[in-house]
Parts: sequence; structure tokens; C-alpha cells
Amino acid sequence: MDATLHSLLNGFAVALQLDNAWYAFLGCLVGTLVGVLPGIGPLSGISILLPVTFGLNATQAIIMLAGIYYGSQYGGSTTSILMRIPGEASSVMTCIDGYAMAKKGRAGAALCIAAVGSWIAGTFGVVVLTIVAPPLATLAVRFGPPEYTALLIVGLIFLAYMSSSSLVRTLLMACIGLLLGMIGIDNMTGHFRYSFDLAELGDGIGIVPVAVGLFGLGEILSTPSSNVVGEIISPKLRDLLPNRQEWRESAMPIARGTVLGFIIGIIPGSAHVISSFLSYALERRVSKHPEEFGKGAVAGVAGPESANNSASTGAFVPMLALGIPTSPITAVLIGALMLHGISVGPTLVNDHPDVFWGFVASMYVGNLMLLALNLPLVSVFVTVLRIPYAYLYPLIIMFCIIGVYEVNNSVVDVWIMLIMGVLGYWLRKFNFDPAPLVLGLVISPILEQSLRQSLIMSNGDYLIFLQRPISLGLLAVAAFLLALAALALIRQRADWRARLAEAEAGEAEA
Amino acid sequence: MTLRADHVAGAAFVIFGLLVIALSGDLPMGELSMPGAGFMPKILAGLTIAFGIVLIVRARDSRPFAEIAWEDAVHAAAVTAITAAAIYFFEALGFITAMAAMMFALLIAIERRPLHYAVLYSVGVVGLTYLMFVYVLKTPLATGPFGF
Repeated sequence: MDATLHSLLNGFAVALQLDNAWYAFLGCLVGTLVGVLPGIGPLSGISILLPVTFGLNATQAIIMLAGIYYGSQYGGSTTSILMRIPGEASSVMTCIDGYAMAKKGRAGAALCIAAVGSWIAGTFGVVVLTIVAPPLATLAVRFGPPEYTALLIVGLIFLAYMSSSSLVRTLLMACIGLLLGMIGIDNMTGHFRYSFDLAELGDGIGIVPVAVGLFGLGEILSTPSSNVVGEIISPKLRDLLPNRQEWRESAMPIARGTVLGFIIGIIPGSAHVISSFLSYALERRVSKHPEEFGKGAVAGVAGPESANNSASTGAFVPMLALGIPTSPITAVLIGALMLHGISVGPTLVNDHPDVFWGFVASMYVGNLMLLALNLPLVSVFVTVLRIPYAYLYPLIIMFCIIGVYEVNNSVVDVWIMLIMGVLGYWLRKFNFDPAPLVLGLVISPILEQSLRQSLIMSNGDYLIFLQRPISLGLLAVAAFLLALAALALIRQRADWRARLAEAEAGEAEA
Repeated sequence: MTLRADHVAGAAFVIFGLLVIALSGDLPMGELSMPGAGFMPKILAGLTIAFGIVLIVRARDSRPFAEIAWEDAVHAAAVTAITAAAIYFFEALGFITAMAAMMFALLIAIERRPLHYAVLYSVGVVGLTYLMFVYVLKTPLATGPFGF
């Protein structure tokens, strides 16, 4: 513990250096804007701004990009509360009671509760991350190819099980992502696969064009400007403080949302989205006045907002300790570190302590910055929302093109982005969630290599996965989850995931 | 029988899986003790086909294909076409010309905005972005025959 504290203090020394603090601030500011703007989520925001970090060192780059990630969670609440438009997916639940509070003249209080809840949750998440990640990384050093294979398979099954769309749909998307990840030179044999004589495809398809296409451009194609209308409620600065009753009503939901969000954040999937839905459902269930939900219940804002911020931080645990992305966003962050020559995995904490601890410490600082930034500047962010969407989306398309082109200076990447944008549009039409596709693309090389290495190690014996205790344990978890999913299918009964999907669909329609 | 969304989606994935297998013809499967370059892709293509078939079999749970709303398809097609043209000319014309033309076309052809607003916005925003990336962030952008 002493060593952790000492390392954390060193991390603060890194994070509080003027230039690093500046990039944390910049990340938080841009992240808040990304969260505020409809049609551009944290994933596309991070992807688009990735090339901007090329001139920075690895620590500054990851500090800034992570700031965009958790900043967008804060920013997403602003549009949800003031316009009933979720700036990004995890803010959908905040729309319901946040907007209802705003209509009752409590917009400022709702924004303040969302910001304070987010800050508490974010800080709690970082504290647990500080304690948990280093020992987990020490354990993960013992992982060999069979353990990594089992871990990635569990991750995919977890993702499919937790997903609010069906297991088959999620696994299908993951398969497509894994297949896309096979494009390019096979590292083990040197064969060119599916590159159609295009030199640019020799290195494979990048995460950035796929992520920006599916999430950035795909969203724009699905959103004609005529559909983006919304009345903005402008809060007054003096109304920002909640009253005593509102503070009391928000305390326990913040606490519950924080713990729930962090636990879900560690599990693969769109954790920050799922956590806010689950937190809302939990608050409604434990409330003495469930009839108030939908009409401006404070708990309906405090719980989900805390949960999605805590989940964002929780997602960093497997990323930093194991090098395993549990969401497309952490996948892009891993990609960003790789571009800077940093290999993310269990050895990160020992090989690059400045990056690891500087990043962790910057999140404490960043969460404070966001609290200071979001409340006084809310009227500034609201002004951005007054830009008509018809003028906004051409700008977003331009930034998508810049972001993708700048990674490799390759126009082929930009074409891939366009194709992925069209694919994203079609996937939305047929109710497929594109997130598992991006995750599949990212883990594809690791999964293929570890599976093939495992088989080579065992001379082709699949039992190797059952002979090693860690991989056996992980595969048992996967089998258990598949059995649970199959049971729900056989009984033809809606389990909690189906009910969650119904709630999501209901909210989307509302 | 009503044609449902998952019939179409499932069939598309089955065709995609078959296409991957067809394209993997010359990739060696190898042996279990030494898997080749075609080992994983063929397994994944098989899984894609299997999941596609499951989707088709269970399609009754999905909505009828005819009920999918396509009213935004014209907008999507127009945005795609204009963006594709901009990408095609991106390196030939350079960042400023290609992007300003794209924004102008989006604002005029799709959004029906007033001409002077569209010109001012397109040129102004693209110019500012160029200055920011090239001079502030020191990140080079594609240059055309005019040097920008």
C-alpha cells in the first residue's frame, strides 16, 4: 500500500506539471463539448482528435484523450437536462427526470446534482482503480497464451450476455469485427489476407476509420437535420444550487450508482450505457415514491449520472491492468498508446510508471476540473447548442475526414470510414449495436495470436485450456453465462436483459 | 409468409460468410498443431453463417421488413454521395478546396440554406480549421495544386 501511495504521489508530480495539467484541462473542455453536441459521441470525439496528440508525448496524449472520455459523460447530461436530447447514449436515462426537473424550474439543481454525482462517482472510481489495478497487473503477468485466449473469449461472451440486444446479434457483430481484424499480413506466416493488392490494407484496417465511420458518420447519416429540434431551457446561475431536500434525496442514489457503475464498468460491453439504465431501474425499485419517476425525481438524475461516470473509470481497470479493452473507447485509447510506442498490458505499471501513475493522478485532477468547469460555464455550453444542426453536421463530417486521414495520411482509410458509415446506417436500421464490431476488431490480433500459440504449445491439443487453472476458471464463467442465456431462451421468459432492452426501446421512442 | 427484418439481415450475413470462405480459398488452414493463416478466418466465417441462420430461423421475433422506416434514406444517400465526391477529390484538390466544396454542397443541396450564408460558413470554417491544424497544431493537411 505504501508503494502504491508513493507511486501515486509521483503520478501527481507528473499530472500537476503545467503542460500535463493543461492537456487534462483541454481534454475535459473538449470532452464536455463532445458530450454536449448531439451526433458526436466520446468514441468519435476521441478518434477524430487522435491525430492532434501525435505531437505530444504518450503521457500527455493519454491524459488528454481520457479527459475527453470522462468529460463527455459530464457534458452529455447538459443536453439531456436542458433539451431532452441525450448528447451521448449513456445520458438517455437522465433525459427523463432531468428534463422534467428543468420544466419545473429546477434545471440548475438538476445540473448541479448531475455534476456533483459525476464528480463523486468519478473520484471513487479512480480511488478503487488506484488500489485494484497494480495487484491485478501483478497477477496478470503470470498469464500465458491459453489464459489470454480464455480471457478474451469470456470478455466476448460477457459482452454478448450483458448486451441489451440479443446474444446472437452481439456475437454476429463481434464475428464481423474479428473478421475485419484478420485483414492484412498474418503475423505468424506472412500471408496477405483479404488485402486485394492494396498496400494500405497490408497493415490491416485501423480502429479509427472503423470507429469514426460506424459511430460518427453513421449517426449523421441516420439523423436528418429536420429531426433535430429541441427547446433549450437556460438555467440561471443563482438557481444552480439544489435545496436541502434535493441534496438529501440525491445522497443515496449517488452512492448506489457509484458502486453499481464501477462494478459494471469492469465488465466488457458498453458499460457506461448499461450502468445508467440499471441504476435508473434500481432507483425506481428502491424508491418509496416510484410514481415520481418520469415527473422529475431527483434520484432519476443522481443515480444514472453517477453510474455512467463510475463505469467510465471502472473500464480503465482491465485496460490498464490487463491490456484488455472492455469497450470500443478503451480500445481506441489502447490504440492511441500503441501509436505512441507504449504497449498496454500487465507490464505497463512497471515499464512506464510515469504514464500509468501520471494518467491515474490526472483523473483525480480532471474530475475536479470538470466540476469547476461544468457548473459556471453551463450557459456557454448551452450557446453551442444554439448552432443549427444543419450547420453543425457538415463540420462534424469534415472533422471525421481530418481525423481519419491524419492517422496514416491515407485516403484509403477515409474510404473505409465512408463504407463503415454506410454500414453503421444499415446496422441501425436492422437493430444491430455496432460496438461489439469495434471491440472484435481490436481484440482480433490478440485473440488469433494467443489461440494459435496455445495450440502450438500443446501440439494441437484443445485440452490445454482446461488443464490450466486460470483459463479453466475463465472458461467455466463463459459456460455459465451461456447456460444462463440458453435457460432464458428455453423458458421463453424475459429475463432482466430483455426487460432492459424494452426499457431502452421505450425511452428511444419517447 | 411475411418477410421480416431478420430474414434479410440473416441472409446478408450468410452471404457474407460464404463470400469470406470463397475469398479464403488460397489461405492454408494448417494443422491443429500449427494453425495456418486461414484457420481463424474460416472458423469465424463458419460462425457468421451459423449465427446468420439462427437469425433467419428466429426471425419471427423481429419486425416486418416493410415496417422499417426509410424516410431518412434520401438524406443519407445525398450526404454519402457528396462526402464520397469530396474524398475522391481530397488529395487532388487539397484540403481547403475539397472540404469547402463539400460543406457548400451539403448546405445548399441538402439543407437549402441561403447562398451567402453557405459560402461564408464553408470558406470561413474550413479556413479557420486549416489555420488551426497547420499553424497551431503543426499537423499537415492534404495540399492541392494551389499549395493548400
